[in-house]
Amino acid sequence: MVKKGLGSVHFSTVALALIPVAVGINYIGKLFAGVLKLPLWLDAIGTVLASMLAGPVIGAISGVVNNIIYGLTVDPISFVYGITSLFIGLVTGVMANRGWIQSWGKAIVVGLVVGLTAVLVSTPLNIVFWGGQTGNLWGDALFAVVMSQTSSVWLASFLDELVVDLPDKVLVVLCSYAIYRGLPQRVTQLFSRSNQMEELD
Amino acid sequence: MKQIIVDGLKYRYPGAETLALHDVSFEISKGELIGVIGRNLSGKSTLCQSFVGLVPHFYRGAYGGKVIIDGIEVKKSTIREMSRIVGMVFQNPFTQISGSKETVYEEVAFGLENIGVRRSEMIERVEQALEMMDMERYKDRSPFDLSGGQMQRLAIASMIAMKPQVIVLDEPTSQLDPQGAEDVFQAVERLSHEGWTVIVVEHKLEKIAQYADKVLLLDGGRRVDFEIPSKVFSRGDLEKHGVTAPVYTRVCRALDCRMKDSDVYPVTLDAACEVLKKCP
Amino acid sequence: MNSISLYTERDSIIHHIHPTNKVIYIFASILVPILLPSFAVLLGGALFGLILLLIGKVFKRALPMIGFVFLILLTVIIIQGLFHPTNSVLVFTIGPAAFYQEGLLYGLTITLRVMNIVGAFLILVLTTKPSDLVDSLVRRGLSPRFGYVLNSVFQILPQMMVSMKTIMDAQRSRGLETEGGLRVRIKAFLPLIGPVVLNALTHVKERAMALEVRGFHAEGKKTFLYEEKSYIATKPIQWGIWAVIGLAVIGRLMG
Repeated sequence: MVKKGLGSVHFSTVALALIPVAVGINYIGKLFAGVLKLPLWLDAIGTVLASMLAGPVIGAISGVVNNIIYGLTVDPISFVYGITSLFIGLVTGVMANRGWIQSWGKAIVVGLVVGLTAVLVSTPLNIVFWGGQTGNLWGDALFAVVMSQTSSVWLASFLDELVVDLPDKVLVVLCSYAIYRGLPQRVTQLFSRSNQMEELD
Repeated sequence: MKQIIVDGLKYRYPGAETLALHDVSFEISKGELIGVIGRNLSGKSTLCQSFVGLVPHFYRGAYGGKVIIDGIEVKKSTIREMSRIVGMVFQNPFTQISGSKETVYEEVAFGLENIGVRRSEMIERVEQALEMMDMERYKDRSPFDLSGGQMQRLAIASMIAMKPQVIVLDEPTSQLDPQGAEDVFQAVERLSHEGWTVIVVEHKLEKIAQYADKVLLLDGGRRVDFEIPSKVFSRGDLEKHGVTAPVYTRVCRALDCRMKDSDVYPVTLDAACEVLKKCP
Repeated sequence: MNSISLYTERDSIIHHIHPTNKVIYIFASILVPILLPSFAVLLGGALFGLILLLIGKVFKRALPMIGFVFLILLTVIIIQGLFHPTNSVLVFTIGPAAFYQEGLLYGLTITLRVMNIVGAFLILVLTTKPSDLVDSLVRRGLSPRFGYVLNSVFQILPQMMVSMKTIMDAQRSRGLETEGGLRVRIKAFLPLIGPVVLNALTHVKERAMALEVRGFHAEGKKTFLYEEKSYIATKPIQWGIWAVIGLAVIGRLMG
């Protein structure tokens, strides 16, 4: 039987094998967005899908592992934002478990909640590490404008992150939902934790 | 006492409507090489997975009847326990590479590390397994830099290093080129000669005819036949079960040349030549 | 196969330092500047990081990454110099833009702090083979299953990229438009990523089964094919870094 919880860690092998693939999907999403020259990152689809399929804990781990690997291979800064990824996985997974991925309307709500969570977690990190900026051209321009008008670092940083992150995360969740809906049952079944053994005579 | 007893095995995957296996029974003695044949979705893979406990423990679902290997009932055991007795090789060479090791040598050791084999013994077993599969010269390569046939032999080496009692191979050659398939088949034959019990699902019936002690024919999840190859391949209704007999058998059937003192047709090249020479 | 990692193989002392020591050094590079936020400490730490990169013979490899971070930090200095809330002492003006001392110094502090951290991460990332890092963590008690998860990403990612290329070619040859207006390009995203995901998830099942029959869930202690690599002065370096952190704490309490 599959026990859950981080203390006596005992995840099913499928769930563990899902994690590296989730990281890979994140990366592929980012690459495709680049190939198509989309003005977004779309680099959390794997994390969100992992949460939808296998629940919040596996989703959260996928998020953290994603940033560790990304930090080791591409961009050392991304280690820091592992916390954001963790929350993206957690929130999606909890909402998925509570029945929030059953329609497009609900999926948009999930996207908004996930996006806001990401903004709320990332903003303090931005302030500690970058004085509040995100490194995104348009976001930072907005940051400068708000700073000059209100001199509130928190507000400026929050808005900087919001314009950059919210649209991205809403689209990430919608893309993930579209993919999730299209998955055959034999695939989604694999990660279902409610399967019971049944006796045949 | 038979080594493997399958008794009234029934199985349905979770979410599925129909049974994948339907009242399957048969017995296998130690050291036998059993070929499993049948069309797609006839239950071959499901049966293979029921020996090592993937059915039912990996999928769960609905299960009935018994599989007993070396006295242990699979349903009451775990995959962890069963995989010490039963080694399994899958169809896709890529996905059974662990994906966490950099060389062939380390890959073979992967399972041994997991089950906590001492280092000195581990090295001995890894080298033995590589030698048996004729893979020593690739030991420093990346597993992903191998051809399909080499990868499949690596998978077999990794499995026999675990020293199971029974070896199950689920279509090990279906994704390989002819040479790769030939190499894998020779490796399987060697295992059988070493005394292992081998169960192999295979579409190339010429190979089954050549090496198998018995053939299990499945259709629609039911056992159709379980006999020596010449008997199964001489069945008139073989095609109806989605299986085409070896070409030698078909030639002899067309010419109505049977084996001496029996009513079956030859199934191997040698036997066919023998029979055809004397055939009127 | 490890082409996606930043690890750079060189023969240097830094390459022979225990991976966990490099991880502890990252902690120090974050903690010490927070505890003792003086310019001397910040500058010293940043320079120390650069020197270690030089000793590790990876300075050239580090430069583009440092340069990229520095570019962003430049905008931080400019924006803080212009708009930082406590700005009062005017330093200079360029046209209508007035730069203030407080903001510039704050921007500089942030820059040095980030440089400390980035330097420490680059030392880990550029001079440590990822599999050695994972190996040393597993030997120190990380669950081997998580060790597997980390290691396997490096192998699975290149495979998925191959499948990505195949699918892109296939979809394009079936007439999928991947160039043109934004709408066209957005519409192309799902038909591209969908098949890659389905393919990858199918492999998850097969891989999980193969792992299960290879003792992936075995109980009891795991063994290792190889002895752990030998590293230089592991204990002294470890205690040295902890001592520096300890001194920083004391310095903070005293100051």
